[in-house]
Amino acid sequence: MNKLKAQYKRILSDYIQSQNESNLYIGQNFIKQLIQKNLTPEDVIDIHKQAIEEIYNDLPESMLHAYDFLIEVMVHFGLMFKEHQSLLIKQEEIRIEMDVAAKIQNLLLETTIPNPKDLDIGMVSVPIRKLNGDYVHFMHNQNYFSVAVTDVVGKGVPAALCMSMVKYGLDTLEYARSNPSYVLEVLNNIIEKSVDDSMFVSLFYGRFDLENNIFTWSSAGHEPALYYNSTEQTFYDLETKGLLLGILQEVKYNQHDIKLNDNDFLILMTDGVTDFREMEEFDSRGYIKDLALSISHLTAQEMCEVIYEKLQELLNFNIEDDFTIVVIKK
Amino acid sequence: MDSKSTVEIITELDIVAARRLGRDKAREIGFNKVDQARITTAISELAKNIFLYAHVGKIVIEKIEVNEKTGIGITAIDRGPGIQEVRKVLEDRYRTPDSVGAGLPAVKRLVDSINIQSKIGLGTKIKVVKWLNQG
Amino acid sequence: MNVSVQFRKNDNTLQGFVEGELDTYTAPMLREELDSIQLFEGMSIELDLSNVRYMDSTGLGVFVAFYKKVMKQKANLKLVALSSRLARLFEITGLSELMEIESVKKV
Repeated sequence: MNKLKAQYKRILSDYIQSQNESNLYIGQNFIKQLIQKNLTPEDVIDIHKQAIEEIYNDLPESMLHAYDFLIEVMVHFGLMFKEHQSLLIKQEEIRIEMDVAAKIQNLLLETTIPNPKDLDIGMVSVPIRKLNGDYVHFMHNQNYFSVAVTDVVGKGVPAALCMSMVKYGLDTLEYARSNPSYVLEVLNNIIEKSVDDSMFVSLFYGRFDLENNIFTWSSAGHEPALYYNSTEQTFYDLETKGLLLGILQEVKYNQHDIKLNDNDFLILMTDGVTDFREMEEFDSRGYIKDLALSISHLTAQEMCEVIYEKLQELLNFNIEDDFTIVVIKK
Repeated sequence: MDSKSTVEIITELDIVAARRLGRDKAREIGFNKVDQARITTAISELAKNIFLYAHVGKIVIEKIEVNEKTGIGITAIDRGPGIQEVRKVLEDRYRTPDSVGAGLPAVKRLVDSINIQSKIGLGTKIKVVKWLNQG
Repeated sequence: MNVSVQFRKNDNTLQGFVEGELDTYTAPMLREELDSIQLFEGMSIELDLSNVRYMDSTGLGVFVAFYKKVMKQKANLKLVALSSRLARLFEITGLSELMEIESVKKV
């Protein structure tokens, strides 16, 4: 320690005399030795103080008090700084865990867009964070095509865990021909039993009868889907007052039929597509209707992508929620 | 001469009183300025914990002499809520949601040894020791 | 961003005036405020949401959880003075069929 002090004093007095860049360079290299000795910031200040005291023997008392004050402050500063560092390390660990979780979720919830005859289907689903609170589930056999668009309240890990449950619920109801109202009733009971009181899921479920072109749908508290009837050239909101899943046991859901004709299309979405915090007065559904109509000559996938791009532009690339949109064209 | 001094911690002013007492004691034992600052900071953190979480308690400061070694011992005693997981509070990442100080991990870094005894609902006793460096 | 609740007691009714924006970050604050209410059988709670400028589904979750808690205690809960934006949220989610909700009268 005394050797270090002597060295420091020499480097310091050299610098005071000549103010050379090389003195500074030597000073910085000296730090390595201090680190090896495990010295703290307050130790360094103390060494500095002692060196100054020896170099100037007529140093005013008040200057020494000032150094003591700095030592005192640095003890606490050093501690807080160390703690901050360890929080950063912890944060990094969490980030890595989240990446792993996101990978697993992507594997679990991977969706392939089916290609049933006479229908053109497109989808865009973009999570706001690493884990997606939205999920789209497709099923398809010879006679039926079915689609579920879901949104778990909240974001991040809790939503992702709940979403896995919804997925397996849907998987066990495997038959694409199941009645939408029945699917919602079963899922509701599963979710109500298993999650806490402030956790719930909104879900829009539709089943298309490929033989008779009948689209049967039901909704549990979900953002209403849009249905464009090309014969009437009119949009309809597919809206029910079906309760969110997971709130009460034994809820009954209604289902409705629409006959789809050529050039009709459906837009299924989550509230991330329509609910914009910063634009209170903006009629997002009206905007999407006009936009969709103007691009209805495109494929379903292209329509989804254009709507996503346009909304992103409109919001200055600042979408605040998981964003999911599905277009089904007859 | 009584080598133990006690400060009751009831108001925030008592934290300063404990610091003052600790610094005097540390100087008297022969700690240098930097170690005096460390010891005082440790006392400050311990007293602040009492003030914030247990509301009342006391800090006992004493000179310790074992074999050839001399040091200072600081004991913080309270009848507060107690610490649920002693091992955890010594980890850096552990923080109560609204804690303002650097907490126990910091205290641990400032001293040579720390010993925590805690009973839920009954209180906590934390003893730390810092030895005087010979030479 | 913050959310706060001012309580006022009126006979057997506890009025709460909620103010602020309700999202993922502020929802736990509201939850804590509402959980601090001492519930008893037969009491009525009226939450005024006229000063809630924004609410997302996490905020909705807090009201649902609180509603369930109130029901368990056999007390009553009413949400009043909802803006049309908020009212729509309760409507779409089917909650307006379940809970007692009054929106602001349109002028």
